[in-house]
Amino acid sequence: MRPWFVVRKLLGAVSTLAFVVVVNFFLFRIVNKDPVSKMFRGRNLTQEQLQQQRVKFNLDGSKWDQFVAYVRQMLHGDLGLSMKSQRPVTTVIGEALWPTILLVGVSTMLSMIGITIGYRAGWRRGSRYDTTATSLSMLTYAMPEFWIGMVLLGVFAAWLGWFPVGGLEDPGSHATGVAKLLDQFHHMALPAIVLAVAYIGEYMIVARSAMIETLREDYLQLARAKGMRDAEVRRRHAVPNARLPVVSLSAINLGFVLGGAIAVESIFSWPGVGNLTQLAIRGPDFPVLQGLFLLLSAAVIFANLIADLLYGKLDPRVAGR
Amino acid sequence: MTRRLWGIALATAALGAMVVAPGPGAAADETVTLTVGLLQDIDSPNVTAGYLVSSYEVWNLQYATLTDKAADDFAITPGLAESWDASADGLTYTYHLREGLQWSDGQPLTADDVAWTINTSREQEWVNHYSTTQNLTATAVDDLTLEVVSAVPDPKLPMLDVYIVPRHIWEAPSNDDITTYEALDGVGSGPFTLDEWKPGQEWIMKANPSYWQGAPAIDQIVFRLYTEGAAMVAALESGEIDAAHDVPAELFGGLQGRDDITAVVGSQGGMTELGINAGDGLGDGHPALKDVVVRQAIAHAIDRSALFDRVLLGQGEAIDTLGVSSDPVWNPEIPADQQLNYDPEKAKQMLEDAGYKDTDGDGIREMPGGGQPLKFRYAERSESSQAAPIREFITAWLKEIGIDTEVSVFDDTQLTDEVANGTYDLFVWGWTPFVDPDPMLSYFKCDQVTTDANNPLYNDASWCNAEYDELYAQQNQELDRSKRVDLVHQMLTLFYEQAPYVVLYHDADTQAYRTDRFEGWMQQPKGTGPVLFSNTSPSYFHLNLIGATPETTPATGETTAPGDTTATGDTTAPVATSPAASGSSDDDGSSTGLIIGIIAGVLVIGGGIAFAMRSRSSRDDRE
Repeated sequence: MRPWFVVRKLLGAVSTLAFVVVVNFFLFRIVNKDPVSKMFRGRNLTQEQLQQQRVKFNLDGSKWDQFVAYVRQMLHGDLGLSMKSQRPVTTVIGEALWPTILLVGVSTMLSMIGITIGYRAGWRRGSRYDTTATSLSMLTYAMPEFWIGMVLLGVFAAWLGWFPVGGLEDPGSHATGVAKLLDQFHHMALPAIVLAVAYIGEYMIVARSAMIETLREDYLQLARAKGMRDAEVRRRHAVPNARLPVVSLSAINLGFVLGGAIAVESIFSWPGVGNLTQLAIRGPDFPVLQGLFLLLSAAVIFANLIADLLYGKLDPRVAGR
Repeated sequence: MTRRLWGIALATAALGAMVVAPGPGAAADETVTLTVGLLQDIDSPNVTAGYLVSSYEVWNLQYATLTDKAADDFAITPGLAESWDASADGLTYTYHLREGLQWSDGQPLTADDVAWTINTSREQEWVNHYSTTQNLTATAVDDLTLEVVSAVPDPKLPMLDVYIVPRHIWEAPSNDDITTYEALDGVGSGPFTLDEWKPGQEWIMKANPSYWQGAPAIDQIVFRLYTEGAAMVAALESGEIDAAHDVPAELFGGLQGRDDITAVVGSQGGMTELGINAGDGLGDGHPALKDVVVRQAIAHAIDRSALFDRVLLGQGEAIDTLGVSSDPVWNPEIPADQQLNYDPEKAKQMLEDAGYKDTDGDGIREMPGGGQPLKFRYAERSESSQAAPIREFITAWLKEIGIDTEVSVFDDTQLTDEVANGTYDLFVWGWTPFVDPDPMLSYFKCDQVTTDANNPLYNDASWCNAEYDELYAQQNQELDRSKRVDLVHQMLTLFYEQAPYVVLYHDADTQAYRTDRFEGWMQQPKGTGPVLFSNTSPSYFHLNLIGATPETTPATGETTAPGDTTATGDTTAPVATSPAASGSSDDDGSSTGLIIGIIAGVLVIGGGIAFAMRSRSSRDDRE
């Protein structure tokens, strides 16, 4: 891989991030002029009290001054205070990260079974395995997450009572260590299955079509002509070439892991980033929303950067260009 | 190959963990826990920073107040102070604190804590204290005696219902910005104190044995957050929680028929109104709305009872006067001949008589003498689920009397802006009042009409009335309660008749609680109020476990209840008995279920893995 390729990709990522920071800041200042007076409507506050609040949330002074202050704070790792809880935004988001990484991370891993299924289905295009897998995937892909979630919640939690209705842990739990983790896994089972089911179809379909693309390639013919066994041909020649689209899909999805899963997290009262986003929008809690946008953009940009670099490694033609 | 094995190993590990996960509450638990489900997290446990209803519930439990309010009717009752005397001019009150008061951390609670809280909250303008303490100066005469001087005659006194915080904890962070203090110290003087807060999940409050009325009968309360109303109701039905606050109206009906659950509609005076730009402020409000006849005609055109039944689904109160207090005593009776009841024919006649005629035959009236049609901008809130159905009804009714509307949808921040600039004609929004009517009444004074758009004030009807202001000033200093009630009734009748608002209905909290574990639930105020999240939330302290009942199915509600519902609070007898019984039976059910659930899960995911691996068996086919 040429160093210039890496440098170019890095510069691209950094400038995108800078652009996001600017848009992120001004977007929220344009859509609302005075969030403070809305927030304290009916609270019987004096004008002096309201002005104090504006100062606290960096909402007084010119937009440019506010921007400079915002960027300076950000470079010090300070994203301001949540307007709702008046706690540091970094703390608020930090608390939501672990539940989200746990849930969306595990279910993304689970759903990668779809890749294997997709490769096999594509390899035996038209076989019964392929038709069954494809139609099942289309089915789960078409089912909305919130619908699967509501059905599973209604049947397995509310009706049968095998799983808790929602949350990360048992009410009032003081468990620690392994017991705590196990409790979290018990609560995670339903939402993780919902997300996995929803994603499997996507992976399967992408992996399958990537595999079908490679089926036409001459080098497979050559490999067979050399007398390699079928499974060997698939593993050593077809799969590596079918990997590119799957890598980019996985990278993008992993980037979105930090964004959480708004629908599923909200159905299962899962205290993750998706849920936090939804609450922050409802507030509206602009500093938290700003922080979430930044986090999500940074995660996606970073995941894309990794995908780009991996591309260069997986397919030397890309890095050479 | 290694890649695939890795994936499978991970999936199996995850499944394995689910298999051994314990069922809910598997550990034997002797503490008596009340679990309350709700949809709103606390914003901050810091009493100088938070402002959400959930946070008030924390403070209601954690901080005792100098004077308390009766559960039944908000009447003033002794709190930290067991008695008080007033000076002849009514400006000075001397409060006598109980002996031996303690904070939950064992420190003594003295008049000094109270004086410090009152004075500091005034100096630093704490958001939740300042409206009460702004004119007060407090002095600790000795440990048990507190003198409070008010700069103006204040009808709210001697009631002093601000949360008293422990000086020895709060003085430290107050040097810089007290509002950013995390306030997780959990030191208080109320029946329960904050034990742990897991943001987005739950918060836990534990009993305070040094509460001045004695230790509560239950050991801890878990406030459990749900993001979906349906999930919360499911948890209530399955017994995972004991009570639920803010049940969505469409699910509430389903709970009303059950004999193991009591559903309560509790009003606290909150209301939803059609606000009208009466034109005394900034902007370009429609000139017709300056005319009280047009505003009254609008009131006559709106069928409030239909809105109440079909939008609120009957869960609230069909009251159409301004809601100014959680206490219904302040609501006036409007004389029958002054009522602006639904009567579209009368509305048309009024408009016709006042000269608003449809001269060009398009079905829409114009200003007297022709010209500008009666077409009003209607602002709909995007943040309310009731906004759209209300708008459909109201715009149709207005059309019927010859008034056209142009609907725009705003979020609350934008709407605040529109109102501040006076660029609106009609909007639908709501308010929730305090117990004392003063703040709500003050919002409609002339000096609350916005005059600088960058400095929005509270009077969102842009309505100014000298008579109203005069009456306000009188009630604000009237120390005789019955005279004050009378003055407030006059104000509200005037407000009703002038119709800067058409109040659509009074909202209500929809709550439900299970009747098979705890008893002693109290509505505040009695008969019409909510059982939880009320003004002082007396229920929690008075709850008792229903006496030992060995039954395993929680379906029968009306079993014998030997507990003491008059709730003096000193009864500790029934505490230790029943949680083990009901708890363990729950566990059996859920762990059997759990195993079946896991088997099902293994089959589903295992099936998927097997399917992924399947073609191995036939891999030699194509050689």
